[in-house]
Amino acid sequence: MKAMANGSTLKRAMKYKMLYIMLIPGIVYLLINNYVPMLGMIIAFKDINFAKGILGSDWVGFKNFEYLFKTADAYIITRNTILYNVVFIVVNLVVAVALAILLNEMKNRFMSRFYQSIVLLPHLISSVIIGYLVFSLLSAETGLMNKTILPWLGIDPIMWYNEPGFWPYILTFVKIWSTAGYLCIIYFAAVVGIDQEYYEAATLDGANKFQQILKITIPLITPVIVIMTLMQIGRIFYSDFGLFYQVTLDSGVLLPTTNVIDTYVYRSLLRNGDIGMSSAAGLYQSIVGFIIILISNYAVKKINPDNSLF
Amino acid sequence: MFKKISTTVLAMMMTASLVLAGCGKSNEPVNKGQNGANDGELAPYEINMVFYGPPQKDLDEIAAEMSKITKEKINATVKLVRIEPAAWAEQSILMLTGNEQVDLIVTGGGDYSRQVAQGQLIALDDLVQKHGQGIVKAFEPEVLGASKVNGQTYAIPTNRDFASHPLVLMRQDMLDKYKLDISSIKTIDDLDAIFKVIHENEPNVNVLGKASAAASIANRLLETRWDILGDYIGVLPNLDELKVVNLYETPEYADMLNTIRRWYLEGYIHKDAATSKETAVDYIKANIGFAVINKGKPGAVGQTENRVDTKLASVDIGSQITSTTSITSIMLGIPTNSKDPDRAMMFLDLLYSDPDLVNLINWGIEGKHYVKVGDSSIDFPPGVDASNSGFNLRQGWMFGNQLLSYTWATDVPNLWEEMDKYNREAKKSAALGFTYNPIPVKTELAAITNVTRQYAMGLETGTIDPEVNLPKFIAALKAAGIDKVIAEKQKQLDEWAKNK
Repeated sequence: MKAMANGSTLKRAMKYKMLYIMLIPGIVYLLINNYVPMLGMIIAFKDINFAKGILGSDWVGFKNFEYLFKTADAYIITRNTILYNVVFIVVNLVVAVALAILLNEMKNRFMSRFYQSIVLLPHLISSVIIGYLVFSLLSAETGLMNKTILPWLGIDPIMWYNEPGFWPYILTFVKIWSTAGYLCIIYFAAVVGIDQEYYEAATLDGANKFQQILKITIPLITPVIVIMTLMQIGRIFYSDFGLFYQVTLDSGVLLPTTNVIDTYVYRSLLRNGDIGMSSAAGLYQSIVGFIIILISNYAVKKINPDNSLF
Repeated sequence: MFKKISTTVLAMMMTASLVLAGCGKSNEPVNKGQNGANDGELAPYEINMVFYGPPQKDLDEIAAEMSKITKEKINATVKLVRIEPAAWAEQSILMLTGNEQVDLIVTGGGDYSRQVAQGQLIALDDLVQKHGQGIVKAFEPEVLGASKVNGQTYAIPTNRDFASHPLVLMRQDMLDKYKLDISSIKTIDDLDAIFKVIHENEPNVNVLGKASAAASIANRLLETRWDILGDYIGVLPNLDELKVVNLYETPEYADMLNTIRRWYLEGYIHKDAATSKETAVDYIKANIGFAVINKGKPGAVGQTENRVDTKLASVDIGSQITSTTSITSIMLGIPTNSKDPDRAMMFLDLLYSDPDLVNLINWGIEGKHYVKVGDSSIDFPPGVDASNSGFNLRQGWMFGNQLLSYTWATDVPNLWEEMDKYNREAKKSAALGFTYNPIPVKTELAAITNVTRQYAMGLETGTIDPEVNLPKFIAALKAAGIDKVIAEKQKQLDEWAKNK
C-alpha cells in the first residue's frame, strides 16, 4: 500500500468520485448523530450547573466516576454484566446457528417461512410485555408455575421474585427466546448463500448430513459468525436494560444476581438525576467496550486475518 | 488502499465535528427578561406551565379560558403542558436540561433540592417582593420560608394541606357484615383482630394493600411519624430535637417491619406486593380489597370514597405533624429556561390571589365541567360524571392557593377552614424550614439508593424476613456510607439552626 503514489490515490478517487458523492449523506448523518454528541463526553468530568451552562461548569476530574467503584456492588455489577453477556453470546450463537441449519434443511418452503416468522416474533415484543408474560408464569399467587406445574410435580410453590438463585437461568432463557430468532435469520441468510455444489460433491464422497454440516456449512459461515460475535462483544459492558429491569419487575431482592451496570446506574441516579454521573457511566462503558473490541479483533486477526473486522 | 481512504475520511470527520462544535456554542440565547420588567406597556407573552397529571380532553379549552383572565391582567396567555405522571421524572429533567421554554414548573421534594443545586431554578425573593403580594398574603411566614435553601427561596409551596397523620381506611360494609368494632384501635398492632376476621371469612380479599404503586405498606406510616428530612436517609424521630438518626436502625422501624411481616405471613398482604403495581384502591374498587394505611388530612376519607365508590370507615393513628418535607413536597418554581421570569411571577401571584383562575385550573369551566350547588360548593352538571367529564383533573393541591377554590359537593363545605385549622394545629418539626443539600454526598447517595432499592420494598411489604434481612440491610447501608451522609445532614442542620 505504501508503494502506491499519492497521485494514483487521487486518480482513483477521481475515478470513483460518484461513489464518494453518494457517501456524503451517510457521512453527514454519522457526523451529526454519532460524532458531534461525543463532545458531550466533557460532561462526565464536570459538576454540571445549568445556570453556568455546560462549558461554564466547574471541572471535577474523576469525581463523577467514583460512585461506580465505591461500593462492594461494583464487583457484583461488573461480574453480572460481563458473565451474563458472555453466556448470552455463546448460547445465542449455538442456538441461532443450530436453528439456521435446521431451517435450511427444511424442504417445504412454506413451513420454512412459517418457522422463520415464529422464531423472529419474540424479538419484536417489547420487554415490558415480556416482563408480564414471565410474570404470568411466575406470579406467586396466580402464576402458571405455582398454580399448575409445580403442584402437578408435587413441589411446593416457589416465591420466584424472592429467589435470586433461579434468575440467571430464567434470564438466559428469556434472552435466548427473545433474540436467538433474530440472529438465526442472519445466519440462515448466510447458510442459504452456500453453493449447493459443495454438498453435492460431499454426498458423492459419502459424507453424511452431520459431516456436511460440520465440514461445509459451519466453516463457510464462520466469517458471518465472527462479525456478529465481535459486534456483540463490543457491547459486552452494556446490558439489556429491559431484560434486567422490566423482566425482574424491579424486584429488589433479586439484585445480587440481576443487578447489572445499566440498572445500577439507573437506580443510583433516580433520586439525584445527576447528568455528570450518568455521562461518566456511559463513558466508562464505551471505553471498556472499545478496548474489549480492539483486543478481540486483534485475537481474531492473529488466528485468521481474513475474518477480522478491521 | 481502502484503509488509507477510510483513515482520511475519519480524520476529516473528526475535524469537521470539532469545527461544528465550535459554531454550536455561540448561539445560546442570553437575553432574558428584556420585556416585561418595565412597568408601562407589557409585551404579549405566552406562559408555559409544566405539570403532571392524567390526560384531560378539554385542557386546551381551560388554557384558553385562563388566558382570557391573564390577557387582561398581565397581557399574557397561558399554555398548559401536561406530562404523564409515569414519564414525569425523565421528561421534566429533559425539559429543564434542554433549552425548552418553561416558565413555571411543578417541583418539590428531591427534585427541588436537585434543581436548586444544579442551578435550574431562579431565586424568587426579589420577584416576590416586586410582584408577589398575593403570595405573601396567602401564607404564614414560617410556611413560605420553609422552601429556603441557603437563605433564598427557589419555589413557592402550593397552599394546601401542610400536615398529615397516619390514617387507616377500611370498608364499612365488611365491618358491618362481621360486626367489627374499630373504636378501640389505637396502634397498627390493634388491627390484627380485624384483619383476622376478614381474612378468615373472605379468603379472596387482599386485606391490606399499598397506598400507591411505588409506596410500600410502611411508607405512609414512616412519613407521618418522623421528619424524614427529604429523603429518609437520616431522619428526626423526635420532632423537638435536632438529632439526625438512621431510620433503619431505630427499634420503631424494626417493630414496624415485624408487624408487617406478621401480616404478610398470615396472608393479609398479597404475596406479590413487593413487585405488584396494584394499590389498595384498585383492590377495593374491584371488590377484592379491604383496607389501606394512608396519609390523612381533612377530606381524605371522602376523596378516597369517591375513588373506590364505597363507604369507608377511618381510624386515625396519631395526630398530624408538619415538616419541611410536607410543605415543600409540591411547589411551583420558575426555571432558568423562562424567557420572562417577571411575567411568570405575575402569573404565579395570580394563582395565589385570583379565585377565578384557581377554580378554572382546579375544576374546569362553570356550566360545562361543574355547576354550583351552594355558596362555594360545586358538583357535576346534569349528565356529566367522572367517566365522561372533559376536565376532571382534581389536582387543586398542585396549582397555587387551593384554599381559594370551591369545594366539591361530597366534601364538607367548610373544608378549607378545617384544613387551615388542621395545618395550624399540627405539631411542627424543629427542623421546619431546613432543606438539605445532598450534593456533597451524592456519591454515597447513589450507592445508598441502590441498597434501599434492594431491601426496603421487600422488608416493608413483609415479603422478606426482617430477622435475617434487616441486619444485612443495615450493614449494606453502612458499607455504602450512610454514616457519612447522616453526619453531613447533621452538620447542615446545625449550621441552619445557628443562622435561623
